[in-house]
Order: sequence, then structure tokens, then C-alpha cells
Amino acid sequence: MDFFSRLIVNLAYFLNTSDGYQQKKRFFYDILENNRYQPKKYFDLFMMSLIFLSVAILIAEVKNDVHDFIKFFNIYIISIIFFIEYLLRFWISSSASEIVISCSEHDTMLGRRFNLSRAVLKILKAKSKFILSIRAIIDLLAILPFFHELRLLRLFVLFRVFKLFRYTTSFQVFASVLSTKKFEFLILLMFTSIVVFVSSVLVYIMEANNPDSPINTLFDALYWSIVTISTVGYGDVTAITVEGRTVAIFVIIAGISVLAFTTSIVVSAFTEKLDEIREIKTVDDIRKLKHFYLICGYEGVAQEVAAKLKKQKVKIIVLDESEHRIASAKKDGIVALNYDPGNIESYRKIGVDLNTQVKAVLCLRESDVENVYTTLTVRSISKKVNMISLLMDESNRKKLEFAGVNEILYPKGLVGMISKELIGRPVAFEVIHALRNDYYGVSVEEILVDSRIHENIIYLNELNSISFKIVLLGIYKKDKKRFFFNPLENTLLESGDYLLVIGNSAFIKEFEKYLHKKIRT
Amino acid sequence: MKNRVALIFGYNDYALEIAKNIVDSYNKIYIYSLQSEQDTVKNSSEFEIRSFDLSDKWDDINEFVDIKHSIAFCVLEDNAENIFLTISLRSSFPDLNIIALSNNKETANKLQMAGANRVIPLVQTTAEMIAEMMEKPIVKEVFHNILFENSTLKIAQIRINGTNSYIGKEIIELDWDKKYGVIALSIMYENMRNEFIYSSIIKHYRVKEGDSFVIVGYEIDIKEFEKIVGSECD
Repeated sequence: MDFFSRLIVNLAYFLNTSDGYQQKKRFFYDILENNRYQPKKYFDLFMMSLIFLSVAILIAEVKNDVHDFIKFFNIYIISIIFFIEYLLRFWISSSASEIVISCSEHDTMLGRRFNLSRAVLKILKAKSKFILSIRAIIDLLAILPFFHELRLLRLFVLFRVFKLFRYTTSFQVFASVLSTKKFEFLILLMFTSIVVFVSSVLVYIMEANNPDSPINTLFDALYWSIVTISTVGYGDVTAITVEGRTVAIFVIIAGISVLAFTTSIVVSAFTEKLDEIREIKTVDDIRKLKHFYLICGYEGVAQEVAAKLKKQKVKIIVLDESEHRIASAKKDGIVALNYDPGNIESYRKIGVDLNTQVKAVLCLRESDVENVYTTLTVRSISKKVNMISLLMDESNRKKLEFAGVNEILYPKGLVGMISKELIGRPVAFEVIHALRNDYYGVSVEEILVDSRIHENIIYLNELNSISFKIVLLGIYKKDKKRFFFNPLENTLLESGDYLLVIGNSAFIKEFEKYLHKKIRT
Repeated sequence: MKNRVALIFGYNDYALEIAKNIVDSYNKIYIYSLQSEQDTVKNSSEFEIRSFDLSDKWDDINEFVDIKHSIAFCVLEDNAENIFLTISLRSSFPDLNIIALSNNKETANKLQMAGANRVIPLVQTTAEMIAEMMEKPIVKEVFHNILFENSTLKIAQIRINGTNSYIGKEIIELDWDKKYGVIALSIMYENMRNEFIYSSIIKHYRVKEGDSFVIVGYEIDIKEFEKIVGSECD
């Protein structure tokens, strides 16, 4: 390897292993391309504002004198910002250092001398792929108004509008939906082109020698043909001969067909992609959620749990691989995705942080095999997230525990315990069941004593719960992990304690509000 | 001689869990199976398995079971069979206490119509526990301990006897939490209607002889309270 090649390879390794360089590149990638990166939203908004501002200045310039600074701002500052953006996109589009390293390692493996020119060729290929992409071309055209001396180039300001495609997802979705019907559009375009070509030539032949006809050139004929086939029909250029009008009849009929065909292609593209569009929107909304429960599976118990949590206005997301069950969840008004909860790819697609955004993952399939599988999948992504699972067969308890479930609920065991209560203390059991379910408007709630409440209320007798017609069942001291039933009035309240209160749900809410508003006198 | 027994219809995990939990409360537990021969072979539990048929007239049960003080659990996995069994038992034994298991609200309603005294809504109860684990973990822990674990905190039903000093007093005047360390949750009138004492409708209701209260308190306080105001029902 000659000195220059070695220098290039060393430089490539240096850049590839340099934390500072990689971090900067990652940052610019996130801000320009990563839709999940929160600051990108602000960058996009900034760029969109520049685009609208630029177009507004262009319009204002047509009939008004615009201040020199505004002109300067429009021509230079905005163009320079767009140019910097273009260069950054060019930089992050591919990694030249990685290409050099890959070529060097490939040649070393094959026992060949490193071929620098092959590596340069590959880099050029990768970079030209970016330069020739439609988006990059639009970006480049949007910079052209910089050369404002060429007056025509000022019109390229309008290309800046096309840049909006980059910054708004809805435009991107629209383009991607239409791109699914490329073949149909191509056929339509060919059909239209043939009709326009044939009709233009025909009408030119029929009309050009008639001194009264407005169609005198082939361009007039082409203009007439396009205006007619598009069903616009301005009427400024019309065929006046019988032959020309006969051609017009065919072009009009063809025009109606083209319009109908175009409409049907667009409509069918959107109909076919409607579920996908909705899914994109749902995933986007889920990513914005701060805290929610992830329910895996939507069978009997899961349906009830979802209904109960929904009633408590808690945010829940359901994942299930069955289309039928997902349809049922959506019918119940629950945000649901037809993703397999046992597949790691599902969580990548959703793109949420299980550690911070998800309060708990509930594995509620009525199959221990599925629940163990889902648990292992989730645990492979997050060791921290709280996981609760249903257990259908007691012999599988250890497997679920081993997979990493934090809490297990065994319905069959629950039936045994309930039966014991029902034969022993039936009324007591029903009372607690009713309390848990907020029957008759009476419920039991836990209220956290936060630092604000603690600042204003020191002893229990200051709570004033009696005037809210609620009863304090007890206090749970979190640090001691102990529940103190019916505590004495002079019990000291501490920050982090939980008050367990029973009473009318509306009164409890009022009491909670009062606790937060109360100021010590 | 007729015995106080528990009859569990259906040989499955539910039946075995129920049997395990109630074994101390009855003289004998019988598990009835629709396929008794197969189930007897695989039965590794301590409980006796007997056979039954949905068309049975239950004559043999009448011979050895003290119907009034016994209990039947209908836990067949097929909902239709379970309802049919319940209605069949009710038509033969009007005094038998029947508890049935249901998987959904529709079945629960039908089981009640078929004559079950109590229905365990399995799915609903499981969901209730899970939702509580998530949103009210402390409530779940406290109630779970009161109901199912050997905690010193207990729930009991106290009937007000004739000599009680609280007879004639309004609900709002009850001071049991301060005086006896117990908290009353609900009242059950003589006609068996149950109402929470936190309901604003009943705060001026005057306590009558025969009314029952569901109270929560430490075991020792409940016993003390029982001596003073009445008798414990359960």
C-alpha cells in the first residue's frame, strides 16, 4: 500500500472511531432525518417558516418595493441556510470512511493490495445516488435564487415550496400512497400521450389550412388537445371544421375516460393504503404518549382489564397478532395495533421507550406459552419495565417467573380463594367486591401525600376528612411497607405516605383537591 | 346419617383449587365428574371422584347429604352444561346453596336465572385484580390481605341484637372507629338489602334490631366489639 493510500485508510479509521466526529454526524442525522428525534420537529418548523417567508417575499416583490435588507435576507441568508442544509444532507447520506474501511478490509482478506481508486469510485457512486435523488435535486434548485442576477433563477424560489415535502409527514404519506400506483399512472400517461399526440396531429392537418381556424401551428394544436383532454375547455382555441370537430368529439370522450381513470387510481390507492395510513398515525400518536400500559393480547380477561383501565381514563395500547381481535379492540374504542407482541420487530416499529414510557406490560393471552414468549421478547428489550402476566396452568408458574415476570395472576387459584370467602363471609366479600368496582358510587381510593400536602398537613386530625363525608381506612407507610389501619388522630403524616379513603367517588375527588389547595394557617 | 358436604361438579383445575380451599369447612368433599373413569385414573388428589350425568335425578345425593347445610359448586367448563347442571340441581334441591362459575356476563345472568345463589364472575374478578394491581396497588394489597391471607386485619359481619345501645341511633352518630377501633363499611337490612353507610341517603337511617354491619378491624377489636354490640354472623 503506498503512502497516500495508507494515509487515507488511517484517516478513515480515525474518523470511524472518533467519538466526537460520530456524535456530530449522529446529531445532524437525527435533526435532518430521524422523525423520532424530538428537536427535529422544531428544525422542520424553522425550515418551513423560511420557505413560506421566501415565497411571501417573492410575491411582495412583484408589485412593491421591498426593503433592501429583506431582499438580502431572501437572496443570501435563506439560500445560505438551504445550502448548509444541502451540504449536511450530502455528508450524512453515506459514510465515505466506512466505504474506505470496507474496501481496505475486503482487499486485505483477499490478499490484494488496497485499490484506492475502487474505493473512490464507490464513494462517488454512493454520493451521486444522493445528488441524483429527486429530493436532493429540489434542494439544489431551491438554492439557485442565490444567483439572483439571472432573473429567471428567481423563479426557483418556488422550488422551495417543494421542499415542504421533506418537512411534513402528511405530504410524504401522500406521495408514498400515490407511488404505489406507479404502473397504473404510467399506463394512463402513455394513453394520454398517444391521444394528445394523435389528436394534435390530426387537428393540425384538418385545421391549419383553414384561414378562419385559430389553430395555425402544431403548438396551437397541442395546446387545444391538452385543454380539451383535460376537460378544461377554455374555448380560446377551437376546431371549426367538421373534421376537426369530429376529432374533438373523440378527444372529449377520451378526456372523460382519463379523468375517471385518474380519480379511480387515486381513490383506490388511498382505499388500499387507508389501514396503513391509520397505522402510521396511530404509531405516531403512541410515540407521543408519556405513560401508558401495553396490553399484549385481547382475549376475555384482557378485554375486561382494558375496559376497566379505560374507564379510569388510563392510557392503554393493545397489541395482538389476530386481526379479528384487533378489530374487536378498535370497536371497543381502544388504541390497538395488529402487531405480534412476541416479535421484537413490533416494538421497533412502535418505537417507544419501554423503560420510560410504558408503566407496565400486561401479558394477558390465555396461553402460558404465548405469555412466556412475550415476556422473553419484552425482557430482551427492557430489563426494567414492570411485567404482569396471566397464568393458566399452575405448573408453568416457575417458567413465567424465570422469564422475568414481576407479578403473576392465577385465575384458577383466585376461584379457590373466592370460594372460601363465599362460604365463610359472603356479605363481607360482596361488600369489598362492590367497593372495588365503584358500585353505588362508593369507592376506595389511595391518595399520595406529596411534599405539598405534607407541608400543609402534619397530623392526621388536620385532614378534615369528616367534612367531606369520607372515612380514612388507614395509612400505608411506603418506607416501612406497612399498612396502619384506623390510625390515631395524632399520627404524623409523612411525605410518600398513602391515605386509603372510602366514600362517594365525587367527595373523594373533592377531598383530594382540597388537600392540594390547603394552605397551613 | 346425612352429612354437611361440599359437592363440586366438574373435574378440573377449578374444582381442585376450590376443594383445597374449603376442605376444612366441610365433613366431606365429593368431586363429580362427567367422565369419572378417566378422571379417577388420573386423579392424584385426596378427594373422592364420583360420576354423574346431566340427566341424573340426584336420588343418591338426597340419601347422604344434609342439603340445607351443604354446598354445591358448578364449575363445568362448558357454559351450557354448567347452566343445565345448575337448573337441574335447583329443581331438585330448592334449599341447596349453589355457587357457579361463569366466564362472561351473559353466562352469569343465565346462571342466576337458573337458580345459582352466587356466581363467581371469573373474567371480571381477574380483570378487577389486574386493574387494581396497576392503578391501586396498595388497595389491592390491603384487601387481598383482609380477604385471602392470614392477616390480623379482618372483615366481619355483625348483627345488632335486641339489647344493643345503638338501636335507634342514626348512622351518622356511630363512633365505632374511635371507640372500638373498627370501621363499618356497609349495612345489611333485615330484608337482606345491602347498602354502604357512606351513601348520603342512609346517613339518617336509625339502626334497628336485626340489622347487620360489615366491619373491618383487627381480630381482637372485632371480638371485643362483638361482645358489646351483637353477634358475629360469619
